[in-house]
Amino acid sequence: MEKETLRILEMLNQLSLTQTEKDEVITFCNNRENDLKTLDAIDTANVERMVHVMPIMTVVREDVVSQPFTREALQAGAPETDEGYWCVPRVVE
Amino acid sequence: MKIYTSKKDIASKKAIIADDMMLTADMPTAAGSKMLDGYMSLFEAEVLTRAKNAGYDLVGKTDVGEFAIDLVGETSCNGAKVKDGVLLNPTAEALKTGEVKAAICLDVNGAPRRAAAQNGLVSVKPTYGTVSRYGTVPVACSGECVSVMAKSALECKELLGVIVGHDDKDGTSLSEELCGSAKKCGELRRVAVLGAMEKGIDANVEAKLCAFKSTLRNNGVEVIEIEDDIIAAARPAWNVLMSAELCNNVSRYDGVKYGHRAQNFSGIDELYTNSRTEAFGELLKKAILFGSDTLSTENYMKVYDKALRVRRVIVERFAEIFKEFDAVLMPACSVMEYTEDMVKENKSLSFEENFYTAPASISGLPAVVVGGVQLVGRAFSEGTLLGAAELYEKEGK
Repeated sequence: MEKETLRILEMLNQLSLTQTEKDEVITFCNNRENDLKTLDAIDTANVERMVHVMPIMTVVREDVVSQPFTREALQAGAPETDEGYWCVPRVVE
Repeated sequence: MKIYTSKKDIASKKAIIADDMMLTADMPTAAGSKMLDGYMSLFEAEVLTRAKNAGYDLVGKTDVGEFAIDLVGETSCNGAKVKDGVLLNPTAEALKTGEVKAAICLDVNGAPRRAAAQNGLVSVKPTYGTVSRYGTVPVACSGECVSVMAKSALECKELLGVIVGHDDKDGTSLSEELCGSAKKCGELRRVAVLGAMEKGIDANVEAKLCAFKSTLRNNGVEVIEIEDDIIAAARPAWNVLMSAELCNNVSRYDGVKYGHRAQNFSGIDELYTNSRTEAFGELLKKAILFGSDTLSTENYMKVYDKALRVRRVIVERFAEIFKEFDAVLMPACSVMEYTEDMVKENKSLSFEENFYTAPASISGLPAVVVGGVQLVGRAFSEGTLLGAAELYEKEGK
């Protein structure tokens, strides 16, 4: 993994690493890249992807309006609320 | 180590515990992460409701490693549980005291199986889709399973029996008919041993494998070594899929609606970044970034897509083996204890030790750990595997 790639990945994943952490992540990812040679050695030509290992059908249910939880209950664990709204820093100047 | 306790009587004859990947409405759920420290869910995991309805008393919760991707729980935000330099698994420790009958865990990257193997306990990871994952903290949804750990195969079987079943609330839940087939017990006649899967084990694990093979042979089970060069690819493939799914699943934690929020930030982007950077641990950050990399435009086909295709090759290889054999015997870990020094030396050891647990994780197949080793069976054969575990227990005691 290149340093520039890591910079972009940090930004995309909203993380900010120290230099030591960056070095460790690069080592970690490079070790994983070695693993990928094992995958490449397996012939997957004409093999379909397998997302679900079991015969899973899309689950559908009746579209019924319900309110299992109150606004107060849903916001009970919020870091900051104000009159029923979640608070975040100003995003529009 | 942190253990939450409920108001239930621990002296109850049907006392059980859950690991901290299970949501509970009367105890906090942190998933071993500072991000969720103190988080109270509004509802509980379906498996806990089912266990309670069957008369079990949930008396507490045990700590896990951050989002359950580590070896045995050492990356918890509450710190590793260590004795004489050896890493301990909180769930296994609670079971060993004998105060609780069994434990319900989320098997994401094999930690419950490794813990059971190293502590002389029994663990069953059921067939994917037979036990509801509704109300568990999502990490690697295409392979993680709710599992049961206990001191005996019978206790595992009893608890598993009440939590198996279709659940409308879980989109990956199988039909009641298929779930029911997981309760049937067949006979174990032929067991395959894959030489390639015994790579890297120490003499203690080798001795456990030898003892198990002897027990099987003494009971008329054929144990045959076969060549295989496919199943070992489960580890790199599972590392890719697990990390990619984890990366997506933990993207929801941003410090806005719940969870940890940084104290210092100048705008919304800094709020997200600082909250996640402060709350997430070292191993989790590595897994997130690796997972994100595998999903990038450059790597998606080369890595993620490849891993999905390798998954099918592995599943088909297992199916081929199960035409002739009833189960595959393999280790669950390379050593009988992990030390602090080992994880200091190799900070991503859990991405290597899952060599032994990834085959069952990536393929959704059931696995039973007993006597320090692991039996992987065909889909819905957990009853048969637990039967073999009971046989081993009778012989061993």
